[in-house]
Amino acid sequence: MTTIAEHGGSPHPRAGQPAPRQAGDWAVEVHGLTKRFGTQAAVDNVDLLVPRGSALGYLGPNGAGKTTLIRVLLGLTRADSGTMSLLGVPVPAQRARALARVGAIVDEPRFHGHLTGRQNLKILAAARGGDAEKQIAPALDRTRLTQRAGDKVSAYSMGMRQRLGLAARLLADPQLLLLDEPMNGLDPAGMHEMRDMIRSLTGEGRTVLLSSHLLDEVERTCDQVAIVDQGKVIRQGSIRELTGAAGAAVEVQCSDAPAAARALGQGTIASRVAVSEDRLTVTLAAGPAREQAAEIQRRLVEAGISVYSLRQTHASLEDWFLSVTSRFGGEQ
Amino acid sequence: MTQHTLTADRRTSWLPPVPLISAKFLELRKRRTLMIVTAAFTVGLPVIFYGIRLLYHLGNPARYAPAGAPNAFATIGILMAEFGFIAAAALGATAGTTDLTDGMFRHLVITGRSRLALYLARIPAGLSILLSLAAAGFTVACLVTAFLGSPQAPGAVTLSPGAMAGAGLWLELYLVIGFTVGLGLGALMGQRTVPVILLTVLMIIITPALASHALPYFLDGERLVVGVAMDQLQPAALAGGTRIGPGGGAGLQIPPMPTWAMITVIAGWITGWSAIGAWKMAARDA
Repeated sequence: MTTIAEHGGSPHPRAGQPAPRQAGDWAVEVHGLTKRFGTQAAVDNVDLLVPRGSALGYLGPNGAGKTTLIRVLLGLTRADSGTMSLLGVPVPAQRARALARVGAIVDEPRFHGHLTGRQNLKILAAARGGDAEKQIAPALDRTRLTQRAGDKVSAYSMGMRQRLGLAARLLADPQLLLLDEPMNGLDPAGMHEMRDMIRSLTGEGRTVLLSSHLLDEVERTCDQVAIVDQGKVIRQGSIRELTGAAGAAVEVQCSDAPAAARALGQGTIASRVAVSEDRLTVTLAAGPAREQAAEIQRRLVEAGISVYSLRQTHASLEDWFLSVTSRFGGEQ
Repeated sequence: MTQHTLTADRRTSWLPPVPLISAKFLELRKRRTLMIVTAAFTVGLPVIFYGIRLLYHLGNPARYAPAGAPNAFATIGILMAEFGFIAAAALGATAGTTDLTDGMFRHLVITGRSRLALYLARIPAGLSILLSLAAAGFTVACLVTAFLGSPQAPGAVTLSPGAMAGAGLWLELYLVIGFTVGLGLGALMGQRTVPVILLTVLMIIITPALASHALPYFLDGERLVVGVAMDQLQPAALAGGTRIGPGGGAGLQIPPMPTWAMITVIAGWITGWSAIGAWKMAARDA
């Protein structure tokens, strides 16, 4: 795991982690990147390293600066300071060269509505040049849009537009994909499809940097995660390690969940308590889990709350995320 | 995934490749309403104009002159320049803004293609549509004038093929100006409605008003208006044609300006607005 210091220090590996990689191993390498809008720093002295061939979720609440980082990386807007490279090529100095093998979706993908999906791809292939035109049919096929490629984009659903956006990115036969909230607006089936597509892309050795506020999707799609809050990357590492470090959790079904949350919140037994309907999810503080689970049960009974079941689980990415981001960290 | 090395390619060149121009041509050509309006102002106008004249002449030859009389050629030439300019401005403003308003600009920038090349591709794409339609409309005017005109009186302006061709070139130049100014203004403002309104006002109100009134102490300022310079460059075949708009009937009242000055003003408008549009496109956040 690589930890980024809260004050923008350089990433440094923790004990037991792989040795530092060579510079060429990073698909995305960002050091000290800052982008301000007036006095507000949307990206604040960010260091970020994305290993080649990995899928990294760039995770943060709305307004955390996720889209801005991707826009800066792509040269859509200028950074105020910092250095960046994509696939080992410095940007913006050699932007065109770097973007030759980069595909990106930024915000909701929009196209010329009066043209068909295929015609839109033709325009983008013409702009990209090279063999991009030959990639149109495979890209449509891969995104399962071949049947509807002759329809006007104005008749496409949101999910189809997202898929067309992905098809547009595949024209570059990209080594690196930067996907900004690709699940936005998709129904569950569309999300499932998109997730499968992203997984298959990483399975081919491509690198994916996926920004999202949907923790569940990141957990299912990515193997690495970087948590961003208020423009700063506050943690980066593999999801398994981060959630493991967050500790165990106990799921409690009881007669009065809000009262139970109050009863547990007063002590030091729980690092976080989340209430949903008739159950609590208690992220345990450091210490032996079995004893803490027993202590939870004892406290609830003492508070006059009936405990129907108590099950030990692992903390989810969501539990961990909420405990480390400033927006939610102080709650409960 | 195939293995490629990342090498510099032609995407950094400011010259737009032919496929990029073709792609923009396709995008514009598929805008049905825009194409209908452009065709109406370029081809439809002379067809309707001469059609009506033909019907009048056929109905009462003694009262109404033949459809292809020389003064009709001058009238339709000026009308085509004015309405064609507005159509050109609309086409230019559309070409300059739709990538942005449709959300395609960002996709295009992400390809790594030079923004200047993306801008310049719009010029041949738009002009190929506009000038071909205007040429078709003007051909109608020439054919009617050549085959359905009256014997010309001694001393009248002779509408030789060369004179008509000169008028055609002047007309096409007018449309090139309208298109490039519309394109630049559209790219600058990021929307097409206001540029089209501004250029319509320039063509229908400001230009005829200025051309028909020589303002003391502001003569050089008046001459900087592209429509005034174009009026001074107007070929003899279109003499007698009057502008619509305030004072348009009075014709050009400003003392002639040197040819180099006319050319400088016209070239300045074309290159100046193109440069402004290209600069904005290069500087704009995508």
